[in-house]
Amino acid sequence: MKVKNNFQKTEKYSLIFIYLLSIFSALPVQADGSVVSKIYHPYVQPLETEIELQTIYEKDDDLKDHQKYKLGYGQSFSDTLFGEIYLITSKDGSDNLEIEAYEAELKWQITEQGEYSADWGVLFELEKEEGDEWEASSALLVEREWGRLVSTVNLSVIYEWGDKVDDELESKLALQLRYRHSPRFEPAIEFFSGEGYQGIGPLIMGRETLGQAKKLRWELGGIFGIDGDSPDLTVKTSLEYEF
Amino acid sequence: MVEINIKQHLFEPSEITIPANTKIKLRIHNLDATPEEFESWELNREKVIMGNSTGTLFIGPLPPGIYPFFGEFNPKTAQGKVIVE
Repeated sequence: MKVKNNFQKTEKYSLIFIYLLSIFSALPVQADGSVVSKIYHPYVQPLETEIELQTIYEKDDDLKDHQKYKLGYGQSFSDTLFGEIYLITSKDGSDNLEIEAYEAELKWQITEQGEYSADWGVLFELEKEEGDEWEASSALLVEREWGRLVSTVNLSVIYEWGDKVDDELESKLALQLRYRHSPRFEPAIEFFSGEGYQGIGPLIMGRETLGQAKKLRWELGGIFGIDGDSPDLTVKTSLEYEF
Repeated sequence: MVEINIKQHLFEPSEITIPANTKIKLRIHNLDATPEEFESWELNREKVIMGNSTGTLFIGPLPPGIYPFFGEFNPKTAQGKVIVE
């Protein structure tokens, strides 16, 4: 009877997952700003603190090169909630680096890893850009293991408002397929879709243990635009120090 | 369900055997006053268990093999393995 109940529970969550994917795949996928970003996993560890630097470099033959830097400090509040604040700077071409925005985010782990057919979490973000423009978003985080392959989906709904932008509701889709080769080397493929952008490309990532409960996580990837409006190449990097 | 204790920074038992291709609920009772993190890259699991409390993990279904784990806060003493057969 217990086996049957577990099977029914697994089937139920599988159906919810497929249902939500169907809904989001039917929505028009749109978003302003940099569509390529970090892909979030739906897990939180208590007692975790991290410092993080993310970089985005967009290169296009028809545009100035665009560079974006996100410096973050994060801390868990419990075994299910993790918060992080960011300072975001950017520059175009040979311009000087300028503060672009401030961001706060809260991640909520909803299910225990491995309990159901997929693991679930939610991410809430609030961003204030220079010039009194605001952006609030929520994203559904879904992850599933297939042996050494791990797939992650981030489905975001974004609301923008402010003096210089039209109030609008947008959406964004980010997918990652990762192969767990070894702790120091995990190759992956990521796909992003948003307003005026669709891109796909390879990444490599890994982690290094630096001592008791201290880790350095890194990733490096190149995302290639696959439609006419997208930057030809977006190089993304991330360095996280957990302690 | 399988149960493991953490006592004086050691896993007890330090080896558990589970059936292949079966999901297992693993309850870890941390009997020490200090927190410990169950960690295993091979099992793809990390879980902090606060002092004097219990944490639950789900592992598998897994193919036969040996999957080591350790306590990240006391890696020299807190070590163990999951044997899947």
